[in-house]
Amino acid sequence: MIPDSVALGELERDALTEIVNIGVSRAASSLRKMIGDHVTLSVPSIDVVSQSRAARLISEREAADLVAVRQDFSGPFSGRALLIFPEANSLELVRAVTGDSLTAQEVVEMEHEALTETGNIILNSCLATMANMLKRSLTMTIPEVLRGNGATLFGVGANETADGLVLFLYIDFAVRKRDIRGYIAMIMDIPSLEVLKELLDEFIARVVGTDG
Amino acid sequence: MAETRLQAEAARTRSILVAAGASGSWDWDIVEGVLHADARFAELYGLDPEEALAGVSTELFFKAIHPEDRARMRIALAGILGGAEVFSKEFRVVAPDSSILWMHGRGQAHFDEQDMPVRFTGLLVDVTERKRTEERLRVAQSAGGIGTFEYIDGFATATVSSEFCQLLGLYPASVLPVRTINGVLTEGEPLLIPQPGHDTIPETLDGVFCIVRNEDGMARWIARRGEIVREGSGYRLIGVIYDVTAAKEQEARLRDLADTLEVRVEQEVAERREAEEALRQAQKMEAVGQLTGGIAHDFNNLLTIIIGNIDTVLRRFDSGGDPRARRSLENALKGAERAASLTQRLLAFSRRQPLDPKTVDVDRLLAGMSDLLTRSITESIAIQIVADDDLWPVEADPHQLENVILNLAVNARDAMPGGGTLTIAARNVELAEEGPDGAPPGQYIAISVTDTGIGMSADTVARVFDPFFTTKEVGKGTGLGLSMVYGFAKQSGGYIAIDSEEREGTTFTLYLGRKTDRGGDSFESPGAQGAVAGGTETLLVVEDDDEVRAYTVGILRELGYRVIEAHDGVSALRLLEREDFVINLLLTDMVMPKMSGEELALKARNLHPHIKVLFASGYTRDAIMHDDRLDIGVDLISKPFTYVTLAGKVRDVLDRVQA
Repeated sequence: MIPDSVALGELERDALTEIVNIGVSRAASSLRKMIGDHVTLSVPSIDVVSQSRAARLISEREAADLVAVRQDFSGPFSGRALLIFPEANSLELVRAVTGDSLTAQEVVEMEHEALTETGNIILNSCLATMANMLKRSLTMTIPEVLRGNGATLFGVGANETADGLVLFLYIDFAVRKRDIRGYIAMIMDIPSLEVLKELLDEFIARVVGTDG
Repeated sequence: MAETRLQAEAARTRSILVAAGASGSWDWDIVEGVLHADARFAELYGLDPEEALAGVSTELFFKAIHPEDRARMRIALAGILGGAEVFSKEFRVVAPDSSILWMHGRGQAHFDEQDMPVRFTGLLVDVTERKRTEERLRVAQSAGGIGTFEYIDGFATATVSSEFCQLLGLYPASVLPVRTINGVLTEGEPLLIPQPGHDTIPETLDGVFCIVRNEDGMARWIARRGEIVREGSGYRLIGVIYDVTAAKEQEARLRDLADTLEVRVEQEVAERREAEEALRQAQKMEAVGQLTGGIAHDFNNLLTIIIGNIDTVLRRFDSGGDPRARRSLENALKGAERAASLTQRLLAFSRRQPLDPKTVDVDRLLAGMSDLLTRSITESIAIQIVADDDLWPVEADPHQLENVILNLAVNARDAMPGGGTLTIAARNVELAEEGPDGAPPGQYIAISVTDTGIGMSADTVARVFDPFFTTKEVGKGTGLGLSMVYGFAKQSGGYIAIDSEEREGTTFTLYLGRKTDRGGDSFESPGAQGAVAGGTETLLVVEDDDEVRAYTVGILRELGYRVIEAHDGVSALRLLEREDFVINLLLTDMVMPKMSGEELALKARNLHPHIKVLFASGYTRDAIMHDDRLDIGVDLISKPFTYVTLAGKVRDVLDRVQA
């Protein structure tokens, strides 16, 4: 199902995980500064799956409706990045990043703003780190908020071409003792993933050298 | 020696540390590029403890790491040096004694004001035991096809193994929403894992569930087993699931087999019951037949006496006698004759009527019957008798055939209360294929009796040959007429067909096989009987009924014969053995105690090969009948017989040239 030219090897997967880890760590640092509280982000694992599989995967894991922040990126490899939360977690995240001082009404009003800002920090940080570590540059669009289920977020069943692949990353948020799970998905076409794979190999060669 | 002791000491220390779980800590100074490590770390890595504490090259961090894990750890460290915060990796370390230990390294990056990583500290924990346990668990799960789960009440998610996900056809994950897990269940199944809101503690985890795998839509059976651990006011479920589809299907097949087995047995039993019922019915009819036959036998003996004696009186009645007394006697005789014909029918029904088949010319037989028919049929009915000119001969008992035709004619008459036409026809028929009543292909003489009467419903047609079935009013018919017709047809190797339509009329057609070998048999017409003739031959009369014997002997003596008598076979044989006289004819009853008539005849023929034999019977079992017919050359006189019939038969037998 996944062409060999884009299937990630174990080391490539580790490398990409670490690169994104650096990105979310930086995002956590930014969030910490923004809300003045302890925020930890980490990426335990990563997958490359088809768009339809990604839709199934996320709807299996998240029974509820989803909310996502979307940013498109372009450069040597191009695509669309999504930061996805279960909708129920979204207000929780807003509370976490805004502090508990807001009323419920204010939280609802703030939700869109807060999500856009948080998503921008995390996605920007990840993509920027990727560009930096892989020694390339990427440009990004303005973030927007989407709502729906797995199928709508991944454009499965719609008119959009659904033959792309999805780089699926799980992220754990630990914000003020709140458990918030989220996902980062990067939808890319095969040529983009092939470029990414090449760049990861270059990165590994630099880091590991001749050892191992 | 001292060195050895030191080494042993070090090994012991290390084993204690290993047992304690903690295997060392490090402090990586990123700015200075120096690695500080504690004594345990140093020992694990085979470094000098003091040097390690003071600071060594960071390259040494990778020195003891298993070569296969080294690249992975370099990438992880690149992440930390590049700005990642959290380090949590499992990797193998090769200890100085070459043993391989699994380590869990947990670390944390420290940043300066500009978010640049400056220090990286962490702890090594020996997880070899856990790793092996995990490995065993993993192998147990994958090899055994067993998925594990753990659920703490109140949570919306459950911790699961990848085998668990695989069994349910879900994308591998370590944590799944309970709703997703229960989503694979088919409708109506109990929950695989309690959903939030179901606060009651389950009683057992044992259960079997029907699921539809999410991945491929396959229906499977999943068994769940496990333990419920109470924790405070809540509980924790730790369990396994595994596929039991094969066992379930096997079970279903067995159950199916058992179910259909029951049905099959029921069917068999029902069929058997039907067969038993049919057999019982047949046995009942057989018993009725035997009873009827037996009664008829005794009746015939009685009627022989009654008819014989009335006959004798009438013959001796001088013409000057009281005419009223004569009329009374004649009425008594008529009554007795009717009784005789009734017993004849009973015997026909029980198919024990002895047939005396002869070659019969049906044309002549019908012609001889026309007077009889005209007398029996009312004037409002026109009678037509149509017979082909060149009719084939048939082999049948002419008296019985006459009876059958008469019976059918009387039935036809009764079907036409308002008058009509009765047609009796005889024609040659050549059946090219199977004919009515299962008649095989061949040549037949078809005798049909057709009326233009009320006809019969299909229902009546189906039952018309049943004994005692009658559509006539009570007292008008015995219900034996048509069953006698049927009995005759079957006994004569013939077939009978009914063609009837309500309000249109009925045709009965009797198919009798063509007699191809004319033999030496003469045509006989029962209508033409010679004058009473006697003789002077010596006859031996054997009869166990004294009165019947006395009557028989009386007639024969009257006819001029020399008659000797015996009351059973044994005394008859004694008489036959005497040489002082020659017996020309043996007249014996068929059914006698001790020795049957047939047996006696056989012995008599041994003594006197030229002796003629005439059997008398009111009821003949299979004694001299084979295939329900008399053997060729055997003569029989039916009881009750009259003076005339006995005289004729005896003369007939005596005069016949021995074959």
